[in-house]
Amino acid sequence: MSHEDNYQMEPARWSAGRNALAFAALVAVIACVAGCLQDPARFFHSYIVAFGFVAATGLGAFFFVMVQFLSGSAASVTVRRIMENIMYTLPFGALLFIPVALGLKDIYSWTTYDAAHDAAMRWKAPYLSEKFFLIRAAAYFLVWSVWIFSIYRQSTKQDTEKSVRQMYAASRWSAPGLFLVVVLGTLASYDWFMSIEPKWYSTIFGLYILSGGALTFMSMVTLIALGFRRAGVLRNSITLEHYHDLGKWMFALTAFYTYIAFAQYLLIWYANIPEETAWYRHRIAGGWFWIAISMPFIRFIIPFFTLLCRPAKRNLGILGFVAVWSVVVEYIDLYWVAMPAYYPAGPELSWQDFATLAATVSLAGLVFWSRFKKHKMVPVGDLRFEQGLYFENA
Amino acid sequence: MKLDPNAIREKLGIGEDKVYGVIGEFDDPHELVHAGRQIRQMGYTKLDAMTPFPVHGIEDALGIRRSILGWIVICVGLCGTATAFLLIWYCGAINDKFVIGGKPLFDFTFSIPIAFELTVLFSAFASFLGMWALNGLPRLYHPSMNYRDAHRASDDKFLLVIEADDPQFEARRAAEHLRSVGAGAVEVVEG
Repeated sequence: MSHEDNYQMEPARWSAGRNALAFAALVAVIACVAGCLQDPARFFHSYIVAFGFVAATGLGAFFFVMVQFLSGSAASVTVRRIMENIMYTLPFGALLFIPVALGLKDIYSWTTYDAAHDAAMRWKAPYLSEKFFLIRAAAYFLVWSVWIFSIYRQSTKQDTEKSVRQMYAASRWSAPGLFLVVVLGTLASYDWFMSIEPKWYSTIFGLYILSGGALTFMSMVTLIALGFRRAGVLRNSITLEHYHDLGKWMFALTAFYTYIAFAQYLLIWYANIPEETAWYRHRIAGGWFWIAISMPFIRFIIPFFTLLCRPAKRNLGILGFVAVWSVVVEYIDLYWVAMPAYYPAGPELSWQDFATLAATVSLAGLVFWSRFKKHKMVPVGDLRFEQGLYFENA
Repeated sequence: MKLDPNAIREKLGIGEDKVYGVIGEFDDPHELVHAGRQIRQMGYTKLDAMTPFPVHGIEDALGIRRSILGWIVICVGLCGTATAFLLIWYCGAINDKFVIGGKPLFDFTFSIPIAFELTVLFSAFASFLGMWALNGLPRLYHPSMNYRDAHRASDDKFLLVIEADDPQFEARRAAEHLRSVGAGAVEVVEG
């Protein structure tokens, strides 16, 4: 079997991809601007979900790239550059955050809430102030950017230098980075998503968002690899064995997400404290009930049992289906987490939901795609690259 | 009770003139896989290999099917899930109706952690005991240990076995076949 691939994307293909993404981004951004002028409140409500979707995916990528450097994974080397390029979109999330910063009044009810007369809110008031909120967001993006750019620089430097030094340098960044991504990711989840209902609190909420994001990220990697395969790119580098591994990850993260989501629900259900149960109360009200009741099925039972047996993970059709499924239900999940605060009677779909999602995803996609112009599509300089090519599942 | 040596021998399969198979020795894993594939093409079906480390592709070359252990585990595991739900439902909602903390007598929410744990416990038992059963464990020794250089299979040699249960098996011919596909040393091993 030949393992020769063209590791550099052909300029024509790259331009075509960039043009498609740029066109999509242009149309979506124009639609967003129109939507924002027509109904700003609705725009910001839709936008926070779309922003969260992209940010959570980026955080998942950030986490997994560092895990690979620390574990010295050989099996995943051939898909690592795809992962790194998704990770690379996270710093640019700071630009995507600008609309959130402009729409604080519409998105977060605590901005207009009179905390002085509410004992449950008074002690949160110093934390939930607009200025501190923006400073924290800037700090998250600053720290993530420093780490991501440093790790990415080492990885791409290794393409040409092929030295063990970049590997060690990337590992040294990754160890504290893993700690930072979980702690800051948790705080960011609290800030951007949990504070939409300011009285509610759940310690595990950060992991709820991060595990969902990790699953979306792994599904995205699978979909991108499958797309490349269809276009005849990296066909011999990303083999069935690597897809099998991606399938195992999607399977594992489905179980992990369920564990976290159920743990949160169980503890709140059991303790039965009004300020905690209110969050679920709002999410089973009216039309939201149907999303709530289908969650165990669409987020766990269907993807879990689809991927359970080994042949399913080695079937690219099934894998692609589950990847698309996971991405869609992640969006539904985030929608269900954020939107009941604005629309208590039930889901009110708007074209702005799609426009904002298209905008954030295509802009992040543009950043992702831009990396392929200069850099190789696989980390050819990685010392485990050969080992990764020939990897087989036992 | 008087011990009957012959009965013990028979039970343990010691001292019989039973042939376990023919073992051929190879120097590297690629040779082994290649030879295995050729031997299988000659029509042998009961093949086995002993190697110092997992050799990729050997199952495929020897036509060894994936273990059915996974299916046993899922069945027993789901029995564990059902046991937990039924036990909690029966104890709480039928046998001893006792309201605790204002919670319903039975609810899936509080049963799931137990159901999860019992699924894991049953699955662990099924995989451990199932592995023993499928491997024919416990047993005192494996016939391949009678091979002169059996210990080399945990060091630097790769052994290919044509077992005597094979319908085509004929010791002399099997030995020749092994030699013809490149085995360095070939030996008929008694069980």
